[in-house]
Amino acid sequence: MLQLMDAFEGHQTFFITYDSVRTRGLEHKYLLRNIGTNPLVMASASLSTLRILLKERPKLIVSTGSEIAIPAFYLAKLFRIKTIFIESWTRVDRPTGTGKIVYPVSDVFLVQWERLLSKYGKKARYEGAIL
Amino acid sequence: MIFVTVGMHTKGFDRLLKKMDEIAGTSGEEVVMQIGHTSFRPQNAKWFGFTTESDIKEWCKKARVVVTQPAMSILDAQEQGVPVVVVPRLKKYNEVIDDHQLDFARHLEKEGKVIAVYDVDKLDAVLQKPDLKPQELAKDSRLVNALKKYIAQFEPK
Repeated sequence: MLQLMDAFEGHQTFFITYDSVRTRGLEHKYLLRNIGTNPLVMASASLSTLRILLKERPKLIVSTGSEIAIPAFYLAKLFRIKTIFIESWTRVDRPTGTGKIVYPVSDVFLVQWERLLSKYGKKARYEGAIL
Repeated sequence: MIFVTVGMHTKGFDRLLKKMDEIAGTSGEEVVMQIGHTSFRPQNAKWFGFTTESDIKEWCKKARVVVTQPAMSILDAQEQGVPVVVVPRLKKYNEVIDDHQLDFARHLEKEGKVIAVYDVDKLDAVLQKPDLKPQELAKDSRLVNALKKYIAQFEPK
């Protein structure tokens, strides 16, 4: 995501991400515990995300994954917040689990390899990659 | 110095780190590793678990060559103008949940964007090649521009 920050120039932004030495230096951020495949942590992350969205009231959510995007995108649908999902650059032929789950509720769904388009529906688009 | 980085991945990457530790013991060149969640503890190489993004870039800058998995870390190294060798994590060794890194490495290799090594036993020879050169960092602005267009549409200034 940090590779794409130029696109947000002139807009106020905040991050919801996992707590790590790499993310603690971010400016306006909310750090959650790594969800992985743990349903209990997913439930608690969903509650945290709900609180954050009610406080911040964003107009748009942009995500490059991973599963941390799932509660945010479904809550966004509920609150009519627009969403953009960008599938990982590392995914050439295989969709991510998160991509498949958030595809139905995403307003814009981008992949970074043209050949991945065939694995998603009509909504998916290829508009370049970070490299 | 060779810098090895395996990122934030929740699974370990013992296969790569063991081989690089062996190389550290035999080649006489200093090897520094960011080992992440790998349980193996290097004996010959200097190592640490995690660090900040700016620190990773600093290590990349100091290195002769960076060895990493095919992921975003490629950019950290290429931004510093250092040659990058990627070793994909493989599902058969339980290093990752599927073989997407293998697909990714093959495609980047085909486009000439990285040097890929699939068998760690071949790493030593690749790292000793005299013609290791930094790959050209060809940032693609299309994605940022596409994102700008959508942002303007959803949140007009």
